[in-house]
Amino acid sequence: MSLADRLVVDRRSAGAASAWLERRALSLAALGTAAVLVVVLYLPVGLVFVEALLEDGSPTLGHVAEVVTDPFYFGVLADVFAEPLAIGDHLGALVGWLGGISIAVTLASPVPGLDLPVPWLAVDLPPVRKGLFGFTAYQAALSTVASVAIGLPAAYILANYEFRGRRTLRSLTILPFVLPGIMVAVGFYAMFGRTGTLNTLLGAVGLGPFAFVETSPLAIVILAHAFYNAPLVARLTVSAWESVDARTVETARSLGASPRRAFRDVVVPQLVPAVLTGALLTFIFTFMTFPIVLALGGLQLATVEVWIYDRVQRLAYGEAASLAILETVLSLGLTYAYLRYESARAGLSQAPSPPPREALFPDVRTALSPRRLAILGYGLVALVLFVGPLASLVVGSFTDGSGFTLRNYAFLLERQLEGASFQTRPVPAIRNSLLFGLATLAVAVPMGVVISVLTVRAGRSGRLVDTLAMLPLAVSGVVFGIGLLQGLVFGIPLPGGWRFQVTGAVAIVAAHAVAAYPFVTRNVSPLLATLDPAMVESARALGASRTRALLDVELPLVASGIVAGAAFAFAVSIGEFSSTVILASGSEHYTMPVAVERYLGRRSGPAIAMGTLLLAVTAASFVVVDRVGGRYEL
Amino acid sequence: MTELRLEGVTKRYGTDGSGTVALRDVDLTVRDGEFFTLVGPSGCGKTTTLRAIAGFETPTDGTVRFDGEAVTDAAPEDRDVGVVFQSYALFPHMSVAENVGYGLRYREPPAGTSVDERVRELLELVDLEGMGDRDPDQLSGGQRQRVALARALAPEPDLLLLDEPMSALDARLRESLRRQLKRIQSRLEITTVYVTHDQAEALAISDRLAVLRDGRIEQVGRPREIYREPSTRFVAEFVGDNNVFDASVRGRDGDRTRVAVDGSDREFELADVPAGAERVSFCVRPAALARDADANRFAVEIETSEFRGERVRTYGRWDGGSVVLQFDAETLLPSDPDGLENGATATTDGGTDDNGADGVDDGGDVAIDGDVVVGFAPTDAHVLETHSAEQRR
Repeated sequence: MSLADRLVVDRRSAGAASAWLERRALSLAALGTAAVLVVVLYLPVGLVFVEALLEDGSPTLGHVAEVVTDPFYFGVLADVFAEPLAIGDHLGALVGWLGGISIAVTLASPVPGLDLPVPWLAVDLPPVRKGLFGFTAYQAALSTVASVAIGLPAAYILANYEFRGRRTLRSLTILPFVLPGIMVAVGFYAMFGRTGTLNTLLGAVGLGPFAFVETSPLAIVILAHAFYNAPLVARLTVSAWESVDARTVETARSLGASPRRAFRDVVVPQLVPAVLTGALLTFIFTFMTFPIVLALGGLQLATVEVWIYDRVQRLAYGEAASLAILETVLSLGLTYAYLRYESARAGLSQAPSPPPREALFPDVRTALSPRRLAILGYGLVALVLFVGPLASLVVGSFTDGSGFTLRNYAFLLERQLEGASFQTRPVPAIRNSLLFGLATLAVAVPMGVVISVLTVRAGRSGRLVDTLAMLPLAVSGVVFGIGLLQGLVFGIPLPGGWRFQVTGAVAIVAAHAVAAYPFVTRNVSPLLATLDPAMVESARALGASRTRALLDVELPLVASGIVAGAAFAFAVSIGEFSSTVILASGSEHYTMPVAVERYLGRRSGPAIAMGTLLLAVTAASFVVVDRVGGRYEL
Repeated sequence: MTELRLEGVTKRYGTDGSGTVALRDVDLTVRDGEFFTLVGPSGCGKTTTLRAIAGFETPTDGTVRFDGEAVTDAAPEDRDVGVVFQSYALFPHMSVAENVGYGLRYREPPAGTSVDERVRELLELVDLEGMGDRDPDQLSGGQRQRVALARALAPEPDLLLLDEPMSALDARLRESLRRQLKRIQSRLEITTVYVTHDQAEALAISDRLAVLRDGRIEQVGRPREIYREPSTRFVAEFVGDNNVFDASVRGRDGDRTRVAVDGSDREFELADVPAGAERVSFCVRPAALARDADANRFAVEIETSEFRGERVRTYGRWDGGSVVLQFDAETLLPSDPDGLENGATATTDGGTDDNGADGVDDGGDVAIDGDVVVGFAPTDAHVLETHSAEQRR
């Protein structure tokens, strides 16, 4: 064998080893990701279930049954659950309730000083004991209605009119979704509170002050939920609207349909699935709502999440676990419905000929038409709802009842400099938030990318991977926090006297990473799915190894998705509250949102100031990641 | 440069190779410098064959050899092949020049040239001088296709593999690019495997071609052979228009065999039918069915005609089924009504409701109504398959 031949053989065998590694790389990465998911997601959630379903080592439904038949939790339904077979009694109760409904029509003069009788329909419903779950569903339903009502006009305007900033506005609809919940809650407080900006404005014209938050907390909570979810509804609906092929509308018109009928027959059926998807997601999210209700309503307005958190604070883990699994089962059911529904809809894509858009305000005459005036009015309402709370947050941090002040920030500074070690100080909160955010990036981005690759490559089984990996969207932060606390922080005994245990900080990062990686996946998958496999094959035929092809071709082309996903992951980590507040309780691992909640007491000033700092850090992190994304171009 | 051999290549899909079979025992030799085409309907295995040659698929069985050396299990990057895909697969984040130069990151440019020189040389070869700084999305479809070709050729591969590179382009552009490709290929004398579903393209461009069906090779040969002497009924019907008849043998007159076509009592005389055959399938090209032929005449009822410039393609029926005919367009012009016999009339009024639905009276449609009598010489019939009495039992 000549030397040259030998060299060739050597190169081949070395090549074979690296080729083996290359071929298995995806499987190995998948295995690693699965291991992380099992330890930090499935195991903790599983532990919560075990806690609720095991008593002294034997399975029991006793705890769950206790909760289900307790009127405190399930209201009138508790009787039904307690005695499911006594159908006669239940029907009797229902008939009695229906008999109690009274409908009255009266003439009233709603405008004082103006004698204008308006027929007023009053429906008087006898009270229903809703229970904790009933109330949670009730506020979620109201929030859903409000979100759809506010989101649809926005979708209509964004899809049908052209104006400056339309594209920016369209992409901004994703933003509320990643704003820290506790910050938004404090923003609403700064706007609607007794000394809030709204009362200041009303006071300027001689009205008020009104105690909005104290007298109707439910309405404020629902508005805050709409702040989050109306943009989501709008976003989903706009993309469905933009994928309507204008030619189908034109075909309907040519077949004799009026514009109105064509809209109803052709466009509406294509929008309905998107609106329903938005509504379903809104219901899921608001059913699991936590920081907003905690901050704005407190225990008097408790939802399931808030109550679970309260049980945990009182160390009643068993009861918390029972509630948690009931909530999780409900939200999983809803999420399953959502996933089924989403997969039934064909993937939305830009239509070959998207619907044309009119100019919003082409000239003065058109601008004064009723439709344009209505749009203008809606725009003002939207501005108040979406910009108001954030502006109030900033304004509120610099003012008190009487005018400009730096007292709130002075308080934070004083606490930082002179506070005792057990007190919550601002700098550790900021430092923790940034550190956890970076650590979350390091874990969530690779995980999210690997899961994208798996779902896109694996074809049919990709669906299953996708569903399993999207579980975090369906498990509430509080439930997850309990699981991590009991599983990882308290530790799991292993055979041989070992104990598997992690510190609070690691558990917090795990919680954040699990909450964040779906956003990475959601950003990367669409790009990966549209990548022509022939591109990788071309690179390989031209001499690039699989790894080189990955670096030369695939990575640059999905880079923008990865950066966007990273921005979301960081924002999610910065804003995560539900599991952090549980894992950080009594420790120095508190983050900014937790600090905001701790400052939220009788005087809201320091919390508003802290919330403003949180807003600043969130905004700054978006700007930084955006800059990094701008440079990351090959 | 390189001779390509496929020996018993089989590809099965499924976890244990028990699923669908994409290729069955394909044997093939592509000679050094040859332009070889794999043609067949979709799902016939032509693309799978190409991918096995490139290394994107590993055959379940069999061997792929480049110049005698087995490369069956080698990775694509270790094979020195240039591939052009239907989608072109240009890298959208690289300029045209970066695309063309990509292969030179991993393979040495030909001796004596730098990467930049080589890229310029290739862009010149495909008539895209000075376009190096453009982005792929600034190019037309035809230009992208040429960039993909230049990129594949830049590292001087042993083999050039093209997977339906023309099918996204319109007909006229396709023809001009086809000529350019053929010119480049014969200048570089590079062994080329071309995949297409378009039999006309395959006939036009290839030195030799293989017709595939259901993962098997039906016939390999030069275009003329395939067209004139299809070895199976499938090839006869797939390549070009053809009339295939099934018939029973009635008797022999010297070297001529008398057969009766199914569905008709008309007897035809054929040459070259093996002795002992009882059933026979044969084909006659449309152009061989002539109105002035002496032998094997039969009447055809005409249904529609298509004007194709020089020729008119006519579709009709007779007792034995449907028939495709071809006439010289000159003989059908109204100025020469005598060119039509036996009551057939030609019109060019375009107003026939059957095929002139748009009602545009541009005089472009040609219609022949009524019957026409055609015949064919016994030697123009090509026998596809025969069954003897023994085989049938």
